[in-house]
Amino acid sequence: MAEAIMGSGPVKGQAPPSRWAQLKATLGAWGFISPAAVLVLVFFFLPVVILFVISLTDLSSSNFSEPLTFINLENFTRLFKDKFFPKILGNTFFYVATTLSCFNVGMALVLALLTTHIDRRAGLFFRLIWLLPRITPSVIYILMWRRISHQPPFGLINQLLGPFGVEPQYWLFEQPWLFVILVNGFVGASFGLILFSSAIEAIPKDLITAAKVDGASTWQIIRDITLPQIRWPLLFVTTYQTLSLLTSFEYILLLTEGGPGLYTTEVWALTAYKRALKTYFGHNQWGYGAAWGFVLVIIGIVMSTIYLRVFRFGELVQEPKIDVL
Amino acid sequence: MKKHRLWTIVAALTVFGMMLVGCQPQTVTVEVPVKETVEVVVEKTVEVIKEVEVEVPVGGELVHIVARCKAAPPHEEGRCNNLVSAVGAANAALAEMGDDRRIELEIIQDNADWGDYKTEFELASDAGAAPDIVCSGHEHIGDWGPAGYLVDVTGMLGDYPEFDDVIDALWASTEWNGSRWGVPQDAEARPLYYNKTLLAELGWSDADIESLPDRIMSGEFTWEDMFDTAEEAVNAGVVAEGNGWWHRPKNGGDFLYYYYAAGGEITSDGDALIFDKAAALKVYEKLYAAVDRGILSDTRLDGDWTSWHTGITDGDVLFMFGGSWNWAEWFSNYVVDRGGEDYLWEHFGFAAIPGMANGTGNPTTLTHPLIYMISSASEHPDLALLLISKASVKELNTDYAIASGHLGILKSQAEYGPYTSSKFLSQVLPLLDVTTFLPNSPYWSAWSNGYYEGILAAESGFSAEDALEVAVDYLQNELGDNVIIR
Repeated sequence: MAEAIMGSGPVKGQAPPSRWAQLKATLGAWGFISPAAVLVLVFFFLPVVILFVISLTDLSSSNFSEPLTFINLENFTRLFKDKFFPKILGNTFFYVATTLSCFNVGMALVLALLTTHIDRRAGLFFRLIWLLPRITPSVIYILMWRRISHQPPFGLINQLLGPFGVEPQYWLFEQPWLFVILVNGFVGASFGLILFSSAIEAIPKDLITAAKVDGASTWQIIRDITLPQIRWPLLFVTTYQTLSLLTSFEYILLLTEGGPGLYTTEVWALTAYKRALKTYFGHNQWGYGAAWGFVLVIIGIVMSTIYLRVFRFGELVQEPKIDVL
Repeated sequence: MKKHRLWTIVAALTVFGMMLVGCQPQTVTVEVPVKETVEVVVEKTVEVIKEVEVEVPVGGELVHIVARCKAAPPHEEGRCNNLVSAVGAANAALAEMGDDRRIELEIIQDNADWGDYKTEFELASDAGAAPDIVCSGHEHIGDWGPAGYLVDVTGMLGDYPEFDDVIDALWASTEWNGSRWGVPQDAEARPLYYNKTLLAELGWSDADIESLPDRIMSGEFTWEDMFDTAEEAVNAGVVAEGNGWWHRPKNGGDFLYYYYAAGGEITSDGDALIFDKAAALKVYEKLYAAVDRGILSDTRLDGDWTSWHTGITDGDVLFMFGGSWNWAEWFSNYVVDRGGEDYLWEHFGFAAIPGMANGTGNPTTLTHPLIYMISSASEHPDLALLLISKASVKELNTDYAIASGHLGILKSQAEYGPYTSSKFLSQVLPLLDVTTFLPNSPYWSAWSNGYYEGILAAESGFSAEDALEVAVDYLQNELGDNVIIR
């Protein structure tokens, strides 16, 4: 009976339905899914194909009007021969790992736990405050940070710490990574915060109450009930935010432009942008920039696959076991 | 209660009235006393768009021309405004020739970054939506000429007598592949500025300070002397550490004259550009030493122009390499409340860039003329060029030159009263005797980036040799056979 309800296979002794019958049975589903599938194809899959094709050409602003010239994998060879390729790759992993663990997932989880364990209104208020960086226009937000960390005699930090005898410094240039991570983390934390808070509040209260009756401490409740219950949003936020951070560069561009000095805070996406679209004298190398972009797509796919395996995505999406009993 | 209601009605009416006023179109109409009626509409945004309306003879054709200029407001707006001012003369010339066409001009003007500005024109060209006239740096001819985005005007220039007045040496900046691809719009020099007040504090006599430009021109005061003086000022506490000498805060054409001063060459007989390792090494050694000696801050290349201008005009810096247009920028935007240009004359001086004793030893500077170019997509290149010719007259160009701190482009300006009476322009003009140019090459941008990577490295603590290696690696990787490294 359960199998019939689930439609999970032919009944023993019966001939399997023909391919046409199978297709006919799922035609409705295909019809429903096709608009979304077309959108995914056009806006997600096709750009990757175009990116790859462009990465095989020498397309640049000096030959833009000419027919495309294919140069095989030369752009990729150039990329891997770049003296600063290892540094940029290292910077990217450092930036993603640190921002993700300290803020986008770590801080978001801590804040979600805190704001769901205090008065509901106060929790909501704090969550709203954490949304402010996200809704502030990027340029305004970065201008604010630049003013905070500006060189002496300017800079809010210098003004505040000066009376305590702290030597004025160009804080942004002294601690560039700290500011890059803070700037991105304060924006990124709100995403996880909202999702985790909703997930925590959706956990049936009976479970918590039962645990408390059994004498569980707050830490035990968090460890043994809350965290396992929010595994799905944890997977989603970690994967989504990893991909987001891998491709985000606008705050770094506005804050440090990848500096100070040589590639100090330069990440992969910023290099792709600079190569393809932003040089001082405007010589844009779209083909070469596309090669940097395409490698980033590969890194993203690899990272997503790893996450899906680590979080056992298959188990998370399988049918509830209660239905097959 | 009644009183309360009355106030409510008054407040509501006031708010309603303000909304009505606020909803009015923000249009300023200016009537210009020429034959045609000219209406100038100014949008109050960063991008200024002006449209010119003209009267067309019966049976005639109104031709819409679009001009795009990059200009820092307010002092550089003459770049496109001069074209607006030339519409009347251009239409009068058409009437005189019996041509029934009339020009209607739309200008688009803002202060975008060079790279964005260039990309915009390229994308517009490929989309068939390029402006008829684009005013841009001469080095872009190196990209746009080969790409087919520009009209070769070599054979057309002779039709317009106004162009006979253009200074001969400036035409070189419009050339690529043996042809001319535009008309010079302005010229400038990039001088060494020095703070006279700080030099006096350091113990320099008035005679020492006043004679500095001559001593630089004669080769007596060199780049090395400048660094020694800057170090002395830092050690004496006249300026803070890192404020002995400032260059620009981001990449730009300036850095090329360092290379020239060190004896470097960039153009070859073929298309490839030259990178002279010995010259570049001297530059990197100089910059490394400047940071090491406390003359220059290792954060100088922070890309922040506002702090740069503020630091200089506030009198915090002894020597700085800037552009002649900075003078206009400073008195227009930074020292207005302190006396404007008079304040600058009292506290600042300027001269050629001192010679490098271990380089050529000769003083130098760099000129970066902007060029009016005509898009190959333009349906009326003759009218576009006619308009440019009427904007290239001494009256209009002098107004622009004085307002913007740029040099004139015409021979007749040398004897034109309003131009010669400008103290700043007349004193900057001799710098052109030692000027240099950027190359008009499609590889210039990549070359510049590679060379700049070395500069960034040298100022970030890499040794000069390591900085050179960074630059060479970049150039080999990016340019391949299109750079000759020697």
